Amino acid sequence: MNERFFEPFVDAVDGVMCVSAAADAADIAGQSAPQGLRFPLLLQGDAPLSEQVAASAFAPASSRFGPYCDNITGMNWELPDGRRVRIGERVVKSTTGYDLLRFLIGTGTRFGRPLDYVLRLRPACDGGGMFSLRGSPESLEIAAAEILRSSFLHWFESVDWIGGNGEPWLRVGVHCPTREWTIFADFLSSLAGRHGLTMQTAPGDGQVMDGLPDLVLKTTPDRVIPLARKMASDSGVRCIAMCYCAAVHVYLPAGSNFLERVTALIEPESDSLNTIGGYWHSRHVEPPNPCAEESAWIETLQNGWSIPA
Amino acid sequence: MQSAMTPSMKDALSVVAPRASVMTSAVEMTGYDSDGLGYKHFLPDAVVIPADAEELAKVVDFLHYSGLPIVMRGAGTSLCGGPVAAQGGVIVHTSRLRAIHKICPEGLWCEVECGVILNQLAEALKPSGLCYPPDPSSGPVCTIGGNVASNAGGAHCFRYGVTGNYVLGVEVVLLDGSVRSFGGPAGGRGPWREDWKRFMVGSEGTLGAFTRFWLRLSPRAEKSWTFRATYPDLRSTERAIHGLVRHPAFPVAIELMDPHAVAMVESSQMAVGLPKDHFMIVTEIDGPAALVDCRVDSVAEVLRSAGSKDVLFSDDPADRDKLFKARKAMGGLLGQLGLDYLVQDAVIPKRALAGVLQLIYDEAAAAGFPVVTVMHAGDGNLHPNFMFDSRNPEELEKVEAISKRLMECVVEVGGALSGEHGIGNDKSKYTAMVFGSDSMRMQLAVPKTFDPAHQLNPLKVFPERRFAA
Repeated sequence: MNERFFEPFVDAVDGVMCVSAAADAADIAGQSAPQGLRFPLLLQGDAPLSEQVAASAFAPASSRFGPYCDNITGMNWELPDGRRVRIGERVVKSTTGYDLLRFLIGTGTRFGRPLDYVLRLRPACDGGGMFSLRGSPESLEIAAAEILRSSFLHWFESVDWIGGNGEPWLRVGVHCPTREWTIFADFLSSLAGRHGLTMQTAPGDGQVMDGLPDLVLKTTPDRVIPLARKMASDSGVRCIAMCYCAAVHVYLPAGSNFLERVTALIEPESDSLNTIGGYWHSRHVEPPNPCAEESAWIETLQNGWSIPA
Repeated sequence: MQSAMTPSMKDALSVVAPRASVMTSAVEMTGYDSDGLGYKHFLPDAVVIPADAEELAKVVDFLHYSGLPIVMRGAGTSLCGGPVAAQGGVIVHTSRLRAIHKICPEGLWCEVECGVILNQLAEALKPSGLCYPPDPSSGPVCTIGGNVASNAGGAHCFRYGVTGNYVLGVEVVLLDGSVRSFGGPAGGRGPWREDWKRFMVGSEGTLGAFTRFWLRLSPRAEKSWTFRATYPDLRSTERAIHGLVRHPAFPVAIELMDPHAVAMVESSQMAVGLPKDHFMIVTEIDGPAALVDCRVDSVAEVLRSAGSKDVLFSDDPADRDKLFKARKAMGGLLGQLGLDYLVQDAVIPKRALAGVLQLIYDEAAAAGFPVVTVMHAGDGNLHPNFMFDSRNPEELEKVEAISKRLMECVVEVGGALSGEHGIGNDKSKYTAMVFGSDSMRMQLAVPKTFDPAHQLNPLKVFPERRFAA
């Protein structure tokens, strides 16, 4: 059978659209917003989506919607030899064959590159905003843990601990119909009161774009704030801990020697992250070489994917 | 017929795995010759039930060198001919690996063995206030291992997602008997450069033998509302579905029963008073009490404005069960309409629903088969159930032909062959409709990486996966 490919489309009924991997936030919003839909997983407005996906598996809204790989249902993919294949589907649910989609999304350009993405869109609401909670580091950590155990967790756009430039604070994003805003405000106000935190609100759409992280560390939800706090205090770098996704985004000052700084930051953490099935990733640094066993698997895959002799 | 598991092999296996149960007689192996698909039978050469994960690894290693196909099996509730010995060989049953090793409420994860029953895990999680959301309807018996192997879904996965969205890590015995962990509580890659667990989820027992998993947990919703509405025609039903999927309440489930399914329930002792010639939608919203209470009226309005004159809803658990009763009763009633049934699992773009349903009705009518259709409508995941008699070769041929035409139609409208059941050997012959030569080569490179001879669950997923000992 001939290869099938995704063509550009927006399907408002299924809430999916196909866009170029080079599309940025404005391109995506330009096609989805008129349909009353949005793609919430964005890290930097003017960066091509492929660069955002390559920079981290998560964006702040992953707290509500999961990682990029759960919000991209299909891709047109170019193999290193230039051949193009379709990976995944345009429907949001499929268990048809091996999951090349989720495997490849996390591989950068090691096995080729994405040309187009099929994105899962979400209903756009008319309200929302950002809550900031401030207080003692211990109280912030307890408050964050309480949010993670509450029924509200799935309705917050993002729940992020932010540290490294001054006192740490908690940022909670909400994207909702205007009439529901006070319900979220009441919950967080009560939480702040119980833990001696001050709360401020800023209206908006609840979406936030912090930029492409220089380093990403993946751990568990109970370890993510302690890890971010340690990195921020030891190294003075800006850290954003996405509490439910359990990923720390590290932002280094412009002009840094990225290789040197990333290497220094990960060195004390790498083993403990690996032990619990976590990882580190940096768009500035090549991943460590695979072990012999994994090298053999990769070689078999690549041979299988190349043009037969 | 002589079993390929010779007495000497059986003796050797009992030395390698002294606590394992080994069965080789046809009587002992009754029930292992099929799965939930029911009408396709493949008697294995032997069934082995290891006592624990350590023994399972030894069994796999032993069988690897035995030259027999190895088929991993959980509860056998697969609906696609998954854990059956399609090429003979040994079924390794994981029913004794049922330990829940750890529940970590602070880290929102748990560690379970592959044979843990889904509802067993749900019970164990209750005191923590957490839940593991995937909910295939076989929950009282199906195993987590089978769920991961088939990337199982369920009624509530429209918002919560399918099994794969909750697998943080997989421990797997590879064919050489080595035990490898891909991921772990943190849900990443661990020490590996690539995220190999992505291949493991949904691999239908073709890459290795799962022993345990790390699963992501979620806070249990404080409150739920269940809604039930009926519609006189497909057009109004579609309006309701389209309105629900775009509603900011983001329903957890949107379930559809077609008039044939409704009539089947209403003609049974499980009748709940639905109009027999109507479509029925059951939908649920959940979340914090204040939030869902504020959303109830607007969800009911979506259902009414689409054309329903009998929208019922409740937040009372007993009443909610009643509203869901017709949908839940359906599976058990299928046996009344035919000796066998074939359930398909295609996912279609929702705007194609009318056309695909018409094809199902036309094909069933032409063949003279009753058909009832239910759907996880939020995802477009369609489950038509064709009733037939598999003892009649003509009927068997007809139902296979219907399946083929349905799959051709599904691919044509941009759908997927399977949403939550997997491919097994029932749908493997249709994979060539989906994958071109390059993408098929990419697919087949995956099992080649871990099992180049296709010894693990041969003839599943792709018909090319035939084991040559």
